[in-house]
Amino acid sequence: MLSRSWRHLCRRYSQAVTFRTTENSPSQHNEKQEGLFYTMNPDLCKQLFGHGGFPKSFQLQTKTFTETAIMVRQPALDLMNCIRASDMDKPVIRYVLYGEKGTGKSLTIAHLLHYVHEEGYLIVHVPWVSEWLRRVPRHKEMSNSQTREGLVDLPLDAAAWLIHFKSQNQTLLKSGDLKISKDYVWSKRETTEAGAPLAALVEHGISRVKYACDVVDALVDELKILSTNKQCKTFVAIDGFNSFFYPLTRLNTPTKKKVKPEEVTLTNSFLKLTNNDWSNGAIVVTADQLAVPDDHQESYLPRYLLYKKGFEHLDPFVPIEVGRYNEKEFLCCAEYYRDRLWLRGPKEIETELKFTSACNPYRFMEQCAPL
Amino acid sequence: MANNIRILNKCIPWYPSSYLLPRISGLLQAREYSRPTSFPDYFQNPVFRKEDQAKLIESSELSKIAALPMKPPAVYETSSVYHDPLVNKLINHVMEMGKKQLARSLVEKSFENIKRAQIERYHLATTPEAKAKIELDPKKILHKAIENAKPLLQLQPIKRGGITYQVPGPITEKRSLFLAIKWLLEATYEKERTVHFPKQFAWELLDAANNTGKVVKRKQDLHRLCEANRAYAHYRWQ
Repeated sequence: MLSRSWRHLCRRYSQAVTFRTTENSPSQHNEKQEGLFYTMNPDLCKQLFGHGGFPKSFQLQTKTFTETAIMVRQPALDLMNCIRASDMDKPVIRYVLYGEKGTGKSLTIAHLLHYVHEEGYLIVHVPWVSEWLRRVPRHKEMSNSQTREGLVDLPLDAAAWLIHFKSQNQTLLKSGDLKISKDYVWSKRETTEAGAPLAALVEHGISRVKYACDVVDALVDELKILSTNKQCKTFVAIDGFNSFFYPLTRLNTPTKKKVKPEEVTLTNSFLKLTNNDWSNGAIVVTADQLAVPDDHQESYLPRYLLYKKGFEHLDPFVPIEVGRYNEKEFLCCAEYYRDRLWLRGPKEIETELKFTSACNPYRFMEQCAPL
Repeated sequence: MANNIRILNKCIPWYPSSYLLPRISGLLQAREYSRPTSFPDYFQNPVFRKEDQAKLIESSELSKIAALPMKPPAVYETSSVYHDPLVNKLINHVMEMGKKQLARSLVEKSFENIKRAQIERYHLATTPEAKAKIELDPKKILHKAIENAKPLLQLQPIKRGGITYQVPGPITEKRSLFLAIKWLLEATYEKERTVHFPKQFAWELLDAANNTGKVVKRKQDLHRLCEANRAYAHYRWQ
């Protein structure tokens, strides 16, 4: 009896599965393609994710597999439908992606970014908030803010982000339709006048790193005005958003004072952007356990991760759970790994891996690695 | 009941088990405990592989040992498809201070590195013949590397007439396996400070599998020395 059920299982797994879809434009994706992999164009990939956006392990995988393939999954499809169906005149809707570690929140965002890029949105994408607040390399540039009392600037990080923003929105910025609404005076000699293209503002932030944080702040204001005036559609994606609400960051001022996240200028800018006082856009943020230290990772639910403060800041929002693989997705993924030579061996092993990885996408990938 | 068994156990004299019961060796992964354990001598090593069990059933030996007391299998003795005694052995050699999880992760990481290197090579290869030649399975590479690193001879210091001669002689299978793993690890530890163990170990394994590199050279040096000292060979028995 046991051997027969074993044989049944093996037979079920040995069936050839189609794991790839030829539909490479995310706007055409629907339930039919669920669980299948689509390939992203390498040039576009470089444009969208050249300065971060993919998790490190996935980045390594794209190099090994010589392609960037993302699985079409239910949360991303749901989100696309929601964005399509939402009324753009109403205040922006905020979506919170949550889920266990390694279930694919960041990749869902990547899929969505591809989608909104095709739809012609202006993209405001923060690859990983903890990169600013929690990662302290040997030389972290920090300075006290000139314009806002008691706040801390991260000029290098802000400039790096501006480069990321510029490369993601090359086409929209080049066209020069987006104009600034008011004068910005940076210093005695440097001003950005009203009516200058948005690209000029971004360029200024990149070339004059000292003002990068102020530029980010100005950019946020401008984007809100522009999209409310229907000059562009804006898509905001922030990965690891709950890092903004963890009581402390790992930054220290030169006087050894611990910095709180709300004392960082970048935090204030992006919290301003996630308010729903503007329209014609969408906001997707993730609540991720990995964005906060170990002592606050007991649950993956947004209320716990965002704290009361963050929850009230975002409220009302649409929670979307990114879950583990289901049966079909797991089979497709295993088949894809086999195709990419990442997984070898007899077919029974897939059942074994399914049990040991508990269908968690990241763990499945990791467990395939030494085989 | 338990008490009875304890008394019964006391009644059985503590002979080595070979006197008492026919030990089913050969088939099994023998696990010898270095320290005294709670298991008396006559406890048999567990048969945890499905293949081994099938063999036992086939040769109808199962009924013989069905009633014998067995040691429980250790955590690393699994019936998983991926179980490989050699890899377990290697992990134990890599392990320091009993940190097995760390050792295991290091070995697995180096397997991953091997795999990535080989897959990259596979994609770079243009012709199907060249692609077919590339071995992608890291475990096979490990087996091949160890096979290539195993010495066939060894030198024993033997004292004759006040002079110690390095006398060449045959080597046991076990010792040659030990030396192969030891040399591979020693070659890995001679690395730059900035290169991590998994990366260097992966390179060493790939080199040894290709019959090149430090370890194979060390083996060949030993063989050469044995060849040079062949004049002393008679000291082994004289």
